[in-house]
Amino acid sequence: MRAFVYDRPTDVEQAVAAVAADPQAAFLAGGTTQLDLMKDGVWTPDRLVDITRLPLRGIMVDGQLMRVGALTSMEELAAEPAVADRLLMVREALLAGASTQLRNMATIGGNLLQRTRCRYFRDPTVSACNRRSPDSGCAAVDNHARMHAILGVDERCVALHASDVAVPLVAVDAQALVVGPQGQRHVPLTELWVRADEGPSIEHVLGHGELITAVDVPLLPAGWRSGYLKVRDRASYEFVLVSAAVAVLMDGDLIADLRIALGGVGSVPWRARQAEQMLRGTHVDPVRFEQAGRATVAGAYTLPGTAFKVDLAVATLTRQLLAMTTEATP
Amino acid sequence: MTATQSRPAAPREWVGQGIDRVDGPHKVTGTAPYSGDVTLPGMLHAVVVTATIAAGTVTKVDTSALLTLPGVRAVFTHENFPRLNAGPQVAFGEAPPAPLQDGRVAFHGQEVALVVADTIQQAVEAARLIEITYAPEAALLDPADGSPEPLPYLPDTHRGDTEAGWAQADVRVGATYTTAENVNNPLGLMGAVAAWDGDHLEFHDSTQWPVNVRKTLAAMFGVPESGVRVHAPYLGGGFGAGLIPWPYKMLAAGAARALRRPVKLMLTRPQMFKLVGHRPDTEHQVRLAARRDGTLTAIEHRATSLASLDKPALGLLTSATGQVYTCPNVATVERTVRLNRRYPSAMRGPGEAEGNWAIETAMDELAYELGMDPLALRLRNIAADVHPGSGLPWSSNALVECCRVGAEVFGWSRRDPAPSSTRDGRLLVGWGMATAFYGAYLPQSTARITVYADGTAAVRTAGTDIGTGTYTVLTQLAADLLGLAPRQVDLQLGDSDLPDAAQSGGSGLASSLSAALTDAAANLRRSLLDLASPDSPLAGAEAGEVTCRDGGLCRAADPSARASFADLLAGRELTQLSAEGQTRLPDAAEAGMHQAGGFGARYVEVAIDPAIGRLRVRRIVTVTDCGRVLNPKLARSQIIGGTVGGIGMALFEETVTDPDTGRVANGTFGDYLIASCADVPDIEVLFAGGPDRFSPAGTKGAGEIGLVGIPAAIGNAVFHATGRRLRSLPITIDQLMM
Repeated sequence: MRAFVYDRPTDVEQAVAAVAADPQAAFLAGGTTQLDLMKDGVWTPDRLVDITRLPLRGIMVDGQLMRVGALTSMEELAAEPAVADRLLMVREALLAGASTQLRNMATIGGNLLQRTRCRYFRDPTVSACNRRSPDSGCAAVDNHARMHAILGVDERCVALHASDVAVPLVAVDAQALVVGPQGQRHVPLTELWVRADEGPSIEHVLGHGELITAVDVPLLPAGWRSGYLKVRDRASYEFVLVSAAVAVLMDGDLIADLRIALGGVGSVPWRARQAEQMLRGTHVDPVRFEQAGRATVAGAYTLPGTAFKVDLAVATLTRQLLAMTTEATP
Repeated sequence: MTATQSRPAAPREWVGQGIDRVDGPHKVTGTAPYSGDVTLPGMLHAVVVTATIAAGTVTKVDTSALLTLPGVRAVFTHENFPRLNAGPQVAFGEAPPAPLQDGRVAFHGQEVALVVADTIQQAVEAARLIEITYAPEAALLDPADGSPEPLPYLPDTHRGDTEAGWAQADVRVGATYTTAENVNNPLGLMGAVAAWDGDHLEFHDSTQWPVNVRKTLAAMFGVPESGVRVHAPYLGGGFGAGLIPWPYKMLAAGAARALRRPVKLMLTRPQMFKLVGHRPDTEHQVRLAARRDGTLTAIEHRATSLASLDKPALGLLTSATGQVYTCPNVATVERTVRLNRRYPSAMRGPGEAEGNWAIETAMDELAYELGMDPLALRLRNIAADVHPGSGLPWSSNALVECCRVGAEVFGWSRRDPAPSSTRDGRLLVGWGMATAFYGAYLPQSTARITVYADGTAAVRTAGTDIGTGTYTVLTQLAADLLGLAPRQVDLQLGDSDLPDAAQSGGSGLASSLSAALTDAAANLRRSLLDLASPDSPLAGAEAGEVTCRDGGLCRAADPSARASFADLLAGRELTQLSAEGQTRLPDAAEAGMHQAGGFGARYVEVAIDPAIGRLRVRRIVTVTDCGRVLNPKLARSQIIGGTVGGIGMALFEETVTDPDTGRVANGTFGDYLIASCADVPDIEVLFAGGPDRFSPAGTKGAGEIGLVGIPAAIGNAVFHATGRRLRSLPITIDQLMM
């Protein structure tokens, strides 16, 4: 095991200062992905600043807004009544996202910043990885690439953002509350991550030492319905192949308003604004749903192993739109 | 009737009862010692470093920096590792080449260095920092570039004339089927603790065959076999991965010998994908021909499995092909292609599982070509009475009963044969079936029974319990043979100093050890009878007239004529008496029978969401003829485990090898998918048939047959649900989207 310094501050300022002062330092929360990366030798920080003693745990609901402390566990958020009542797609994404053991350890802030599951990124004996080592190439594009992204990627990197819960959070325009050496700021989740085709080695816009302290999540108003459909090979305990988070407000059989985001397809959680525009104010029509899906994946960068994801994304979105707009409430 | 009532109650038979595992309390309380639990004074920790090229030579290993790290004791490479002899040849189990002898690299992931340190953490870090320079060579990675060669264990077979059979037929099918590389992946990581004292080696290992590890290590290190003792009382699963003397064993023993300290070497999960074998990729070209009434006229099966340069595949892909159905014309051809890939080996139902996928899918295709019910086609052709090759009556064969019972319980007669005919809402529902066969295997073992004056007994043999239930079924059998309760029988396994036993493999160990134990009990009764004094009620009895009951020996016809073990021993001033026995088998041909293996019938229901390609297995009825069932609870557990493995083989499991480097791309439990609990439906486990006539204990083995047939039954159900014939495993969403 590689030696490192371990700090466990008790207030946010100390934690931010400790990381900001050391270029080789990093925050550690639940550790469900970071410790794997350290064991695999992919990630080698000299200093770990454990933030689990910071007062960042808990959920506050204030009218239409829910503030989720960054250290709130996935399990705690899934159990929150406001989530079950008014953001069912978030609850479904959390429950489909990990086993109970992992949900009890993993935090919401950490979930958003999880690293890609790319098999080439996660093996340091593979030298060609633009995400790990800028300008070294991409071994994934030349090999079997079934689990990779098709949107927001190119031949330099096909890394997928594999979070489930980030998908519905992006759909409802959640924002990260960030504290850094320069103070506090809000970052909309739709702007938090950097697409791989815009720079494969930069994953998000946070600076060194900046810490997500909370996530502000707008609750869906009364009358909305939402759900998360995750498609994967086995029935449990697997990262996503393709998923769709859909929230709709119906007016008879007219779609008065809706939110859509897709998982399993993008280098970032993929908000489908064009599809929303195409369907807002229209009647329920599977053909239109499919057209909206096609528009979402237009321009996909596919490899032999990922080509199936284009049709699967369209089918998954169409299925979930139909379920949310036509099927009886469970 | 009065006389009958005055006799003692008939002793309870323990065999056949579903008693709990006798080793269960040890396992759930954490007191069962696995190899990884062993800690010895002064023990060092070793970590294997693996190659990052597929072919070439190690030219330089820079160890200078490593040796200054805290706790690092040694770095072994081909330049300083002890020179070893070649391993001995043993059936199916010969060792791969000795590691670290010449710097040659034959596959990506091969052992190229070993780091030894005071703690595992120090060893891991040093192994991470090691710098190895290679001279790479062109690697043979594409199967199309390899040259097929015959297999050592299975010659090509011919029965009749397949071309004539093909010509006579009314209906013919032919297709190519493939299966993916699967990895055994027992939950217990494999590893060893080695400790030398001069030429004496104590070796705590993860093995299914301690005697073979003893033999191999003794030969390779040039020490007397008598001084090598291999301990494997428990194994965290094996599924075949523990059958071969893998190089990690030599690395542990070699490092411990060179450093004169005990050394522990445990593999990591990614290394379990590379260094302890796997079920190789296979391809099958199958041609079936039949008359209009379904009578088979030709079966042709050409199969190929991938292998490593230094170790051929086990094969056995075609071994069942000519044995299940009465067909006069059968030809099998089997080849292996050697590449710069990892060592293949046996994995649960080796060969049979893959070959069955091809043949039983082809049978389903033939049924549809004929317009015949798939079950009816099987029943038309099953060689129920005599073996179709030898013409001799089977020692047992309940395949027809398996088919009929399974069909009844499953409700097969309600099936509408038309593809895509059954729906449940938006789901397509399919029903599929397949038969299963697993070849007969009954190796030699020995066992020893000792009785003590307090009326208890000890049973000792070197065989292993790899989670299958050996401890429990032997305890039950010994209790019956000795007239004791299971708690009065102490059982020790997994120690090469105990009487020699075969491997826990080929589904043969329970049969083998049961026979040896039965023989030992007969010898023990003879020895006990010899102790009886002239005034004993047993005096003058013949060995065949006595039996053990209630802690003593008695006349079978008159249990009141008895002497306790205590009295018999005391009469000769003995404290204990032992007898050994061995597996004694009839000559099958002389006895006029053909030795049978296990048979089975599998019925599966799947539901498919065609838009998103989502497949779920909803229900399985599995019926197995494994001969006499020693313990229904454990046998059921074996069949369930095999069934779950079959679901994994059908739908999930596939080791992905990068085509350009030969690297395992998905060697973790996050990336290599095995069936999760949510993927496993209700499984109805049924048994058919009765005791086998050849096997002395009547058993035929339940370890592997449960997996065989599941993939084909699932694939056939997929065809029934969708009308889409998928011939390549695993069947995944991208193949199922419609």
